[in-house]
Parts: sequence; structure tokens; C-alpha cells
Amino acid sequence: MTDAVQSGDGGAPARGEGRDARVDGRRLRSERTRRLIIEAYIALVRETGHMPTAAQIAERAGYSVRSIFERFPDLTALRVAVTDYAIAEARANAALRDLDADRLTRIKSQVNQRGSGCERWLPLWRVLSADLSGAPDLQQRIGMIRQLIVMRMEMMFRPELSLVSDAVRKKIMLALEALLDFESWARMRELYGLSFEEACAVWVKAIDRLLPQTPA
Amino acid sequence: MRRLGEGDRPPAAADAGLTVSVTSAPAVDGRRLRSERTRHLIIEAYLSLLRDSSQVPTSAQIAERAGYSVRSVFERFPDLMSLRIAATDYAFAKSTADAELRDLDGDRSTRIRSQVETRARTCEAWLPMWRALNANQGDSDELRSRVRLARELIFRRLELMYQPELSTLAEPLRRYTLIALEALTDFESWGRMRENYGLTIEEAREVWMRTIDRLLPPTPSA
Repeated sequence: MTDAVQSGDGGAPARGEGRDARVDGRRLRSERTRRLIIEAYIALVRETGHMPTAAQIAERAGYSVRSIFERFPDLTALRVAVTDYAIAEARANAALRDLDADRLTRIKSQVNQRGSGCERWLPLWRVLSADLSGAPDLQQRIGMIRQLIVMRMEMMFRPELSLVSDAVRKKIMLALEALLDFESWARMRELYGLSFEEACAVWVKAIDRLLPQTPA
Repeated sequence: MRRLGEGDRPPAAADAGLTVSVTSAPAVDGRRLRSERTRHLIIEAYLSLLRDSSQVPTSAQIAERAGYSVRSVFERFPDLMSLRIAATDYAFAKSTADAELRDLDGDRSTRIRSQVETRARTCEAWLPMWRALNANQGDSDELRSRVRLARELIFRRLELMYQPELSTLAEPLRRYTLIALEALTDFESWGRMRENYGLTIEEAREVWMRTIDRLLPPTPSA
């Protein structure tokens, strides 16, 4: 995903010999328009920190407001599509690394990945999760993002978590989730003025204290 | 002092817990007291609506809940932002009064339990208000300054409660530990445990107590 958003429907359409090729070309253009609208939404959120209006999105994407509502029945549906797009991109960029490494390497790997994710997605997270009333699809996706974050930590710290009972493991995971929350990162960066490296150091130290001993 | 009864105020605000002085003051004092009481009841209505629905209430909803007209609301608050600020100040005053520092000289586990019980009580009572405050802070420097002040107070309290343990750490580790403690005992950390994971108050407190105990360095011997 790029922050720069192309405008208009420019570019040569896919040309085919028959009817199928024309249909494919239309579908491709429609898909591209949809993607550009989503990217315009994300770019506006990153710039302003606010939920954009349909007019702002249309202007940024280089389409009409009508084009937006031809592809999304309302702005909530667009928010859901934006969330799906963000989840797909975040997953693609968050490959599990260092799973077999030593404790400190795994902690640092997890913290670096999570810190980068927070840095990239915090404005969008705030906008998407701000008002979930009347948007069950969005609620479900926000819940899914939380689950993915927790699952990733469970995998990264499996050796340590395998040593404790379910009850204790649950308590540790609740603490880790609170610690590595988007807003926890935001406070370190915005309120306490920590650099990226300092904020990572806070998390690394805390996780190291919270995790049980690593089995030999 | 006496507690307000059903005859003193609208039924919708009957659980507000408000108290007023009963005196034979001059008429002007009586009017001022009534005006103050109305103001309090409007604030209480705003807060109780937030607790009920988690949505920022409209002036019509606030007026209906308080038992006054919309005009009465705007006679006391020039706009809804002023009401939000007044409600925030009211909530801070109440929560601060309820969160007196206790057990500062207690042993480690006593201090942890005391801190967690107080913090849990605050989160349980004020989470909807806190969410509304955070959602609206972008619209107002005054709200932003109050959020900042609240966080400073939480931070300061952690420093005081765990001074013996924190004193053993050099900077920046001491500050890092405080920042982690603040994150772990944040309002939304409490909200997730209670709402998303369905923990009881006691279970949620247990999570915090265990976590704080692990995060803190050993307590120095006396």
C-alpha cells in the first residue's frame, strides 16, 4: 500500500478479443477504483487523524462522491472494507520471525514488529475503533485484530507460556495485551516523548519481567 | 446536611447521591442554591447517560434525564463542550476524593492490593466518562489538558505507592517501569478484562496484582 493516491481512471484498459475480455477489463477497473478509494481514506486518516467525509475521500481519490457510493452502500461499509485492506496488509508485513531464537531475540523481534505496526496503523486504528455502535461487521473485525495480536504473542512466547497453567497463562496474556496495546504505544510516543527505540526498550524490559522463565 | 428526597428533584436524578445544605438563607442565596443544584443534576444526568449507553448524549437526552428543559441546560452551560468540561471536573473531584492514598507504609503486597483496589474502583466507576473524554479531547484544549492532568495524577500515584521498589532502579529503567505500570493499569486494560473477557472484578484485580508484582523489582530490606 502506498500513501500516494493516483487520480482518475487513467491508464489503458485491458483489451480482449471478446465479451469476456471486456467484462474482465471493466471488473479490473472497478477493482482499481475501489482500491484507490480505500487508499484515499487511509491517506486522509493518516494526515488528519479524523474520519474523512465522502466529499474529502472522493476529492483525494479523484472520483465523484457518486462513484464512492456505487461501490460502497454507505461510509460504514467503506470503513469495513478499509479495515479488511489494513488487516491484509498488516498480515503480509508481519511474518513471524525468530520463532526458534533465544528469549531476548524473540522478545525484541515481537516488540519491533508490534512497534512498527502501531506506528503505521495507529491513526487508522483510532478512527476505525472510535465508534462501533451500529456496525457489527466492524466490531467483528476489531475483535479479529485483537485476536491476531494475541495469537502472535502466544506463538512468539510459546516456550515460556508452555510452562505455566492455563489460568496463569491467561493472566500473562491479558497483561501482555494491555502492555502492547495501540494506545500504550501512542502514550509513549506522544505523551512521554519517547523515541521509537526508547518505546521498544520499555516494552522489551516489561515483557522480560512478565514472562516466566524460559525452559532449558 | 440532608440527602435530597424524591420531592426535592426530578425522579430521573434520584440516584445522584447529591447533598445540599439546608439553611434559612436570604432569597438570593436560595436562588443560587437552586441554580447550583440544577447544574449538578444536569451534570449527573450527563454522566448517568454515558454509563447507560457509552454514547455522547444529546442536549435533549440530558434535559429529559435531568427533568429540565433543553433551555435550562443551555442557561447553565453555553454549549455542550462546557457541559463536558464541567462534568469532567466533577468526575475528577469525585474520583480524587474516593482515591485517597492508603497503606503507603504497608508491605509490598499490601501496597499492591491497596493500589489495585483503588484503581479498579476508579476504572469501574469512570470508564464510560473516560472514553467520552478521550473521544472528544481533540475538540478542546481544555479537555486535552484534563486528560493530561489525569494521567499525571495516575503516574504520580504509582510513583508514591511503589517508591521503595522504584528507588532501587536507575534511570531510565525507573521511568520505563512506571510507563509499563501505567499501561497495564489503564482504563482500557480494565475495560478489556471486564467487557471482552468477562472477568469479575475480583479476577481482574488478581490479574493486575500479579502483573504489578512481577513488574516491580524486589523490595529493598528495611
